[in-house]
Amino acid sequence: MLGDLPVFSILKARMDYQQTRQKVLAENIANADTPGYRARDLRRFQPPQANDLLTTASVRPAVTQPGHMAGLLSSGVFDAPGTTKGTAYETTPSGTAVSLEDEMMKLSANQADYQAAATLYSKSLAFLRIAIGRSA
Amino acid sequence: MDFFKSLSIAASGLKAQTGRMRIIAENIANADSTPARLGENPYRRKIVTFQRVFDRQLDADVVKLGRVATDRTQFGSRFEPGNPAADARGNVLTPNVNSVIETMDMREAQRTYEANLNVVTATRRMISRTLDILKA
Repeated sequence: MLGDLPVFSILKARMDYQQTRQKVLAENIANADTPGYRARDLRRFQPPQANDLLTTASVRPAVTQPGHMAGLLSSGVFDAPGTTKGTAYETTPSGTAVSLEDEMMKLSANQADYQAAATLYSKSLAFLRIAIGRSA
Repeated sequence: MDFFKSLSIAASGLKAQTGRMRIIAENIANADSTPARLGENPYRRKIVTFQRVFDRQLDADVVKLGRVATDRTQFGSRFEPGNPAADARGNVLTPNVNSVIETMDMREAQRTYEANLNVVTATRRMISRTLDILKA
């Protein structure tokens, strides 16, 4: 039921994405000394049918003159951290291509993004609570 | 839930590094284990190997300790005519353990262990963030 609201479904997808990414990063770090292992990452986050959800559910400002703002809901709603796939990793003589520093950076970025999504989720819940007339 | 998978993957990394530390400790402890009598070999340095193993349950590559191999480099020798294992010229074979290499290996194990611990901390924080939604 809550999932029908666009905000919640997008946030849920975002948190799912972050969870999977955490798993991939954990894999990279666990295998940081395995010969022949190459670090992996997920592709950028794509919100589920973002355009449908947002255009049908939101009220768009009327644009009557060229100078008017068209609203921000077009694409790139969430800016996921760019993946470093394809860039030059350091490769050890044993063929391990995992940079621990890089993975640590990604790990903390992932954590921060997840926190942002979780906080937004609870804030949105608080809004709903205000709407049904209970103090948040 | 993917978070628990992340924890399991990080745990496999922790376990592998613990096993590595055990072998390093064995090498360092035996750095002076000369043979008891002539014709025997001194302690031969051991080397850990890591393998990535696909875990079906976790749907991820976890790390496992592979076969423990032995270092095939030549033994050192030391002039010590009084030793029961000394040959006709008074030389005793010494283990092929290099404490500098072992120390470096130990540092690497430490670093990877810490990285895996960081994954555990980050994941736990994300889980508690999720539970905070309930409280909001």
